[in-house]
Amino acid sequence: MRYPNGKLALDGVDLTVRAGELVTILGSNGSGKTTLLRCVARLEDPSEGEVLVDGRDLARLNGQALREARLALAMVFQRANLVRRRSVLANVVCGTLGRRRTLWTTLGGLPAEELSMARELLRKVGVERLGAQRADTLSGGQAQRAAIARALAQRPKLILADEPVASLDPEAAEEIMRLLRRLAVESGLAVLCVLHQPSLAQRYSHRIVGLRDGVVAFDLPADLCADQQIAVLYKDLAA
Amino acid sequence: MSVDGTALDVAPRTARSAAQDASAATPSKGGLGRRLAYVFVALIVAAIIAQSFYVVQARPGDLITGVHGMVDILSRAMPPAWSEVGETLWPALETVDLAIFGTVFGILMAAPLAVMAASNVTPARPLYYLARGVIALTRAVPDLVWALLFVTAVGLGPFPGALALSVHSIGMLGRLFAEVIEDMDFGPVEALTLTGASRLQVFTHAVVPGVLPSLLGIGLYRFDENLRSSLVLGFVGAGGIGFRLLTAMNLFQYQTVSLLLIATFILVMAAERGSALLRRQVA
Repeated sequence: MRYPNGKLALDGVDLTVRAGELVTILGSNGSGKTTLLRCVARLEDPSEGEVLVDGRDLARLNGQALREARLALAMVFQRANLVRRRSVLANVVCGTLGRRRTLWTTLGGLPAEELSMARELLRKVGVERLGAQRADTLSGGQAQRAAIARALAQRPKLILADEPVASLDPEAAEEIMRLLRRLAVESGLAVLCVLHQPSLAQRYSHRIVGLRDGVVAFDLPADLCADQQIAVLYKDLAA
Repeated sequence: MSVDGTALDVAPRTARSAAQDASAATPSKGGLGRRLAYVFVALIVAAIIAQSFYVVQARPGDLITGVHGMVDILSRAMPPAWSEVGETLWPALETVDLAIFGTVFGILMAAPLAVMAASNVTPARPLYYLARGVIALTRAVPDLVWALLFVTAVGLGPFPGALALSVHSIGMLGRLFAEVIEDMDFGPVEALTLTGASRLQVFTHAVVPGVLPSLLGIGLYRFDENLRSSLVLGFVGAGGIGFRLLTAMNLFQYQTVSLLLIATFILVMAAERGSALLRRQVA
């Protein structure tokens, strides 16, 4: 992946995430973590290479075909990015808009047939009691759970999480990581997660990928990943 | 002429305080240049103020000698013609309806314009410039001038006033609406786009709920302003209380005038309070 300004952000990154697996990307600022996620979601256009999601190459697709292929991946952001003035349940149902393209939903209505599924998802992420509340009344951790429920409503095969716990307190961060791990294991989702906390990565992921200067420095099962290997990622590049 | 005297009087004081500021903050660096700049600005401001006094022909003396004329009018305006309350109700309703019509149509026209005129959601660049142009034009021409234009077009009565308020509101609301859209939180929009929702779905599910309360608040405030404007519009023949007021003035019916002014006061206060109350509700 090369940016138009000539900066090479990612170079020869070859990464596979299997269903049921939580893979964490670690790396210092500017190492290309976020660019990698954005390439996978096709928010950036990779200058070379393939992005295969469920057998389809997102890097080659455009327009309608891209939109359909993208339904297989859902994204969770650093901030929950909920629509603040709507109910939590409505926010979750919004995750289904991609496959519910009717005149009613185009005019701002919610697909009624998805409501029970959305409630089920809220139970799954542990905030079933908050469905009727307005989204701006939630705490950071609750909002992030609701955002994950919205991502699940999309019925994705892959969840991309860009620093999902960066704005949460340590306890909420643990809970969100536990939830992501559980979703991978129990629901057979592939989860690709960018983190800034090596300790969380070691405890909750199956595999850790270290990125340094846009190159994969290591790709190891989490329990084989030693502290000093991780430390190398954050060492001053000049040293 | 007092122009030079005022300027000379102001300049040295400003220069002194500028010198103090300069010595307090940066003792040595750029002190003189800065001081000169202060003096220069002070001279210009003083000159601008002085010329305004001269041009408007401000004569405080006339105000004092004119007091007895004012007292005379006031005494002839007392007591207000309470017997005419019944006849005042219709023009009062007309005034309120002018404001309602102007605000509703202003909002209906301004909303789509604002979507085109907000740089972050505009469907196409040419539309953006077109919408900005329409907004600037309708805003720059005051509603009174629009009323004069529409009176010539469709004749006397409340309708030209309603049209004038609508057109002017388009500009005022369009600009504020566009700013609200430009300032909104883009996180939910990006999130919904990634769920595979269509552009229109993103608009109705993320943009609209995000900006609606601000838009309602601005619309209510506009109603309040339109009510006040509609009173003045009557002066150019565009109906409502203003028109009655003008007629009564021309016929020297000062008791009627005072009644109409009281009615105006009540209307304006009610609109101001009402719109403030409702705005708190939607916030």
